[in-house]
Amino acid sequence: MSEMASKYKIGDAVMVANENPTGNPRTPKYVRGKRGVVGLVHGILENIRDHRGIHKPLYTVKFDLSEVSTCHDQVSIWVDVHEEWLSEVKQDS
Amino acid sequence: MSGKHGHKPFEGHMHDYMAHIKAVEEDLEYYRAKRFEPRIFYLLRRNVVTFYDLLKVRASLKKKDHFFKLAKPQGKNIEARVRYLEEWLDEYVKGIALVSARTVEGMDMVTEDNRKERGDYDDFFKIKKKEHHGTLEERMANLQQDLADYSELLEVFVQALILRGWATREDLAQRWKQLHDERPWAGGVIVAKAWSDPEFKKALLDTGREALREMGVHQGKVGKLVVVENTDQTHNVIVCTLCSCYPYDILGDTPWWYKHESYRTNIVQNPRACVKDMFQLEVPSDKELRVWDSTSDVRYFVLPQRPAGTEGMSEQELAKLVTVDSLIGAGYALEPSQLREREAAHVEAEAPRVRPD
Repeated sequence: MSEMASKYKIGDAVMVANENPTGNPRTPKYVRGKRGVVGLVHGILENIRDHRGIHKPLYTVKFDLSEVSTCHDQVSIWVDVHEEWLSEVKQDS
Repeated sequence: MSGKHGHKPFEGHMHDYMAHIKAVEEDLEYYRAKRFEPRIFYLLRRNVVTFYDLLKVRASLKKKDHFFKLAKPQGKNIEARVRYLEEWLDEYVKGIALVSARTVEGMDMVTEDNRKERGDYDDFFKIKKKEHHGTLEERMANLQQDLADYSELLEVFVQALILRGWATREDLAQRWKQLHDERPWAGGVIVAKAWSDPEFKKALLDTGREALREMGVHQGKVGKLVVVENTDQTHNVIVCTLCSCYPYDILGDTPWWYKHESYRTNIVQNPRACVKDMFQLEVPSDKELRVWDSTSDVRYFVLPQRPAGTEGMSEQELAKLVTVDSLIGAGYALEPSQLREREAAHVEAEAPRVRPD
């Protein structure tokens, strides 16, 4: 578990890719192409049951409900997304 | 023996029989394909039992010598028959636990599916799931047949272990009884300790699994555990929209609805309405709702708020107030008066099945 290797930090604005870049396919469709903010940084987690090897660092990304649904509410959806799915979003100043 | 699928939102009476049957079908296939059959292969390949032992046992086994004896259904109406199938599944799952735990050295093996077997990389390696079709009656009949078939293999396997001298019938009977005795559920124990011991609570929220190691609770095997705390300002809900990830290894099984598509879809579309519709849980509009979708190697559970009127209660008493639903955010922990009402009405506590390992 190495949080040092993680590219993003808590509070960074990120965008989820639309297409499966490489490797880990477990990013749900409803957050693809959506903007969120890094909520938790987990680093690289070794999953002993995964025989394929180690994946890129993992984050929990916080999305406003309105970003992923037609609903507006004081709700946030926190989704685990691996680094290769994320790109940086330049914050409006 | 009791059906564990029957809790909220259909507590009391079932409303949607098909949903119950689908949940049993899904669980049954999970336990057959992921929990039981891999163990058989493992032991066959190590010559603990052989295919030929199984054939021999099957040929000579008489009904009166069966190890597993299933109770008769309690009634002929549809609800009784659905419950019967649920209870049969419970017995099957306990039977797998019986032949898994310490019966044979080295048997405690990992059988959780990996990404390869989930078909993430190539469909060829995917563990094939049985498909279920037809009317409710047809599906119930098929399910009953599957349960009979799968239980027969389990029966034969147990008899082969006895035949080969890996376990005595008496030992197994004793262990079988223990599996049916009530044990304190780890979820209740953990939460009660967090309510009572601020240091432990901090460690639990900060470090997850590490804190469990210190308290001696079986802390499971996989990935990272994140515990999210409910407060006056925030209510948390857990889901896995991709499949049914959940800290099974610590908390036992999920309620049946956790794997249900309607829950997995609606909870990320309109969470406040979803918890209200499914669980009669009204989260005030000024309270923030957070939904946690465990799509990867993190497992989540909710630390519910300590109910009012529990001052001075021991951890043991507090643990009884903790429900499975409250750890997913589909309910609150019970108030002492609610627990008393439940006990008076003999509503069964939601002790989940404990997975074989």
